[in-house]
Amino acid sequence: MNDESHMPSNAAGGHGASVEPVLIAKGISKFFPGVIALDNVDFEIRPGEVNALLGENGAGKSTLIKIMSGFYKPDRGEIRVNGKHLDADPAAAHRAGVATIHQEAHLVPSMTVAENIMLGHWPSSRFGVIAKKEQTQRALEVLARVAPELSPSTLARRLSPADGQLVEIARALSENSRVLIMDEPTTSLSSREIDRLFEIVDSLKSKGLGIVFVSHWLEEVFRIADRITVLRDSKFIGTRPAAELDHAKVIQMMVGRDVEEVTTSGREPGKVVLEVKNLTHIGVLQNISFNIRAGEIVTLAGLVGAGRSEVANCIFGIDPYEEGEVRLNGKVVAPNDPTAAIQAGIGLLPEDRRRQALVAQLSVGTNTTLAVLDLIAPRWMILKDLESKIIREAQSSLAIKMASPAVKISTLSGGNQQKVVLARWLARKPSLLILDEPTKGVDIGAKAEISEIIVRLVAQGTAILLISSELPEVLGLSDRVLVMRSGRIVGEISRGSLSQELIMRYATTG
Amino acid sequence: MNSNAQKTSAPQPGLPGKVRTSNKSMVEILEDLGLVVILVIGSILLGLASPVFFSRINIENLLFTSTIIAVVSIGEAFVIMVAGIDLSVGAVLALSSVMCVGLAVNQGLPVWLAALIAIGLGALVGLINGLAVTRLKIPALIATLAMMSIARGLAFIYSGGRNIAPIPDIYDNIQAARLFGIPVIILLTIVVAIIAHFVLSSTRFGREIYATGGNPIAATLSGIRADRVIITAYVISGIAAALGGLMITARLEAGAATAGFGMELTVISAAVIGGVSLFGGEGKIGSVLLGVLLLGLVQNAINLLNVPPNYDYVVSGLVIGLAAAVDVFRRNIAEAGARRRSAQVKKEQAGNAPKAAKSH
Repeated sequence: MNDESHMPSNAAGGHGASVEPVLIAKGISKFFPGVIALDNVDFEIRPGEVNALLGENGAGKSTLIKIMSGFYKPDRGEIRVNGKHLDADPAAAHRAGVATIHQEAHLVPSMTVAENIMLGHWPSSRFGVIAKKEQTQRALEVLARVAPELSPSTLARRLSPADGQLVEIARALSENSRVLIMDEPTTSLSSREIDRLFEIVDSLKSKGLGIVFVSHWLEEVFRIADRITVLRDSKFIGTRPAAELDHAKVIQMMVGRDVEEVTTSGREPGKVVLEVKNLTHIGVLQNISFNIRAGEIVTLAGLVGAGRSEVANCIFGIDPYEEGEVRLNGKVVAPNDPTAAIQAGIGLLPEDRRRQALVAQLSVGTNTTLAVLDLIAPRWMILKDLESKIIREAQSSLAIKMASPAVKISTLSGGNQQKVVLARWLARKPSLLILDEPTKGVDIGAKAEISEIIVRLVAQGTAILLISSELPEVLGLSDRVLVMRSGRIVGEISRGSLSQELIMRYATTG
Repeated sequence: MNSNAQKTSAPQPGLPGKVRTSNKSMVEILEDLGLVVILVIGSILLGLASPVFFSRINIENLLFTSTIIAVVSIGEAFVIMVAGIDLSVGAVLALSSVMCVGLAVNQGLPVWLAALIAIGLGALVGLINGLAVTRLKIPALIATLAMMSIARGLAFIYSGGRNIAPIPDIYDNIQAARLFGIPVIILLTIVVAIIAHFVLSSTRFGREIYATGGNPIAATLSGIRADRVIITAYVISGIAAALGGLMITARLEAGAATAGFGMELTVISAAVIGGVSLFGGEGKIGSVLLGVLLLGLVQNAINLLNVPPNYDYVVSGLVIGLAAAVDVFRRNIAEAGARRRSAQVKKEQAGNAPKAAKSH
């Protein structure tokens, strides 16, 4: 199968090489507050090729896609389509021939396929009455290219994920589309559906479209890509023909070589703190079992969607589970009840700080003590002295930079916000602290500080369950790494034999 | 190379240099002052237009008529602070009014017991509202709209659509009573407001209200039982509305099933004018009272300036709209100021980290 799909790809790639690129991104840099999202990145896409864009989470792929499709304005560099400068305007990008399929589906479930395809451009009479016949007709024309078998009158909510994907492609493509950007189009598809998607990609390619394909799955990438481009740490690493690469080489490009080992040596793990036995959440997690000892950092590694956060959510009582049990210090932790989990001695630093951890309307101080209300208000009145003492201690021990504890939490930088969320738990002295992407969206300085705090915590005997997509962080901090894929633990790597390559191998193919 | 950046940039985690506290509180003072300024200017204008305005009788009357709205608004504020809404307060007030009189006059219960049952009914209605919103996940607007109809209907059924009168003497007595020359009803309202303020500012439950309203997910993940907090807020609103029912009974000298018609909109307006965010998580009782006073002032102006009664609603609506617009404007300014300041703080703190990152 591999061979079959490779043959035409190479042919097309060879043909494309002699042609001017249809889209060129030159010297693109993009800065967000405290973060460099892209640093002088070059990228090009030729007609009739699939250029796979790869990189770890946070390497800058999404930002580059958003710049190419006109959603973001690059701070440096420029995008040229067909030799013409492209302004940062999604509508202009679409007119210029750049069609983008974003990661999340954007169909309106209550509308028909035809209405979705014509979304916002419904053909209508003078009085705003939608011309149904014309709408159906035009939808059929558009569908003919990618999914002739779909009926325009089907409701979008009745479509399978794959058909939904096709409708989105149909909608994105217009008469003059030259480039199709697909951001992880296969994440919700079955293998048969992926085959079908790839057939369509091949046919679009043969019509001369340049295709940008983003995926975490190397198998897929090698099936479909003519060339592979790798980004790492916001930088351009290289674009090479797929035929010259293999899994190992790509992984090496993705993770780089020089990695600092922030060793946490010399720790003797204590007694078992957390026991997870046969945890199963149907359709999400299967048979998850592991232990964590006092003073030990166990990391769940794997790609986005492998089920790492879901494990954390089940332990902490956010998500229910059908089978298995969680014990903390020997006692069963009641399922599906975060309050019970907290009282048992578990803390969680959630992945999405803004959505899951911060109360934007409240002050830094109030956010700091949010998880210790039972301690600062043993009856029902808040002991303000005790509260300000806790806030002061947190501020000095975690070096939280703020104008005063009375300012709103939203005025702090990402790193300082994260420290506030950490402080919330430290005041409880939990036996187990779950850290889900603790350094996501924080700048480099704060990253190092947060790592130091983690090290300090384990030295005091806290058991830590770490979830991180940052491999250097995983390597530096973990005593053991459990690699997850598709809701299972597919490998356990002890500190001695830990390497980025090994983790990536388990995560992508294991 | 990355590792180097990390090393060089790893900041010296010392204490923050200077702790600034003044700026923020200035903004807060300004925020609160906004309404006060509107009230003062409004009063002066009205005083110029009608000399009667500053008479003791008129001021007392203004405050007195504001008490019922104030009590019900305070309850409503709790619900809005948890990002809910309670449309049933006017109907609960009516139900409480007919019950507290009817149970005493028709069923012969002691007056205090009848009043207690009326309050209990208010709490029960709140409990059902809260359960419908949290457990059944019915949108608050719909759940309390249904409850509004049911409670109003029950009031009509119980009273047969007629006012129940005469009322027990004690209501008249309380209505007329004065302490230090001030009507007891006004003092009572102030006590209710102080308790509510204390609960919100100084108790665990108050924190839980703000946290749940601001971000229910974050609250839950911090160990707060958000559903319980929301239910309790609705119960408080029900109790406050029922208390308003007792008060209106004294004023109307009857248990009236038609009492408080449309009051839900008035109290929601008062709360929102008083800075309670409809998105939840924000609001202060003191400001809610200012909102109530502003609405009372408008009503007073309509009376004093002899605005034809038919214009009443339009004028009230315009003032509510205007006050809300001024409020949004004022908040945008405050927010822009906060953003500027935080940008400054970040710049000051910027230190080596971003530089180190850029140099690679």
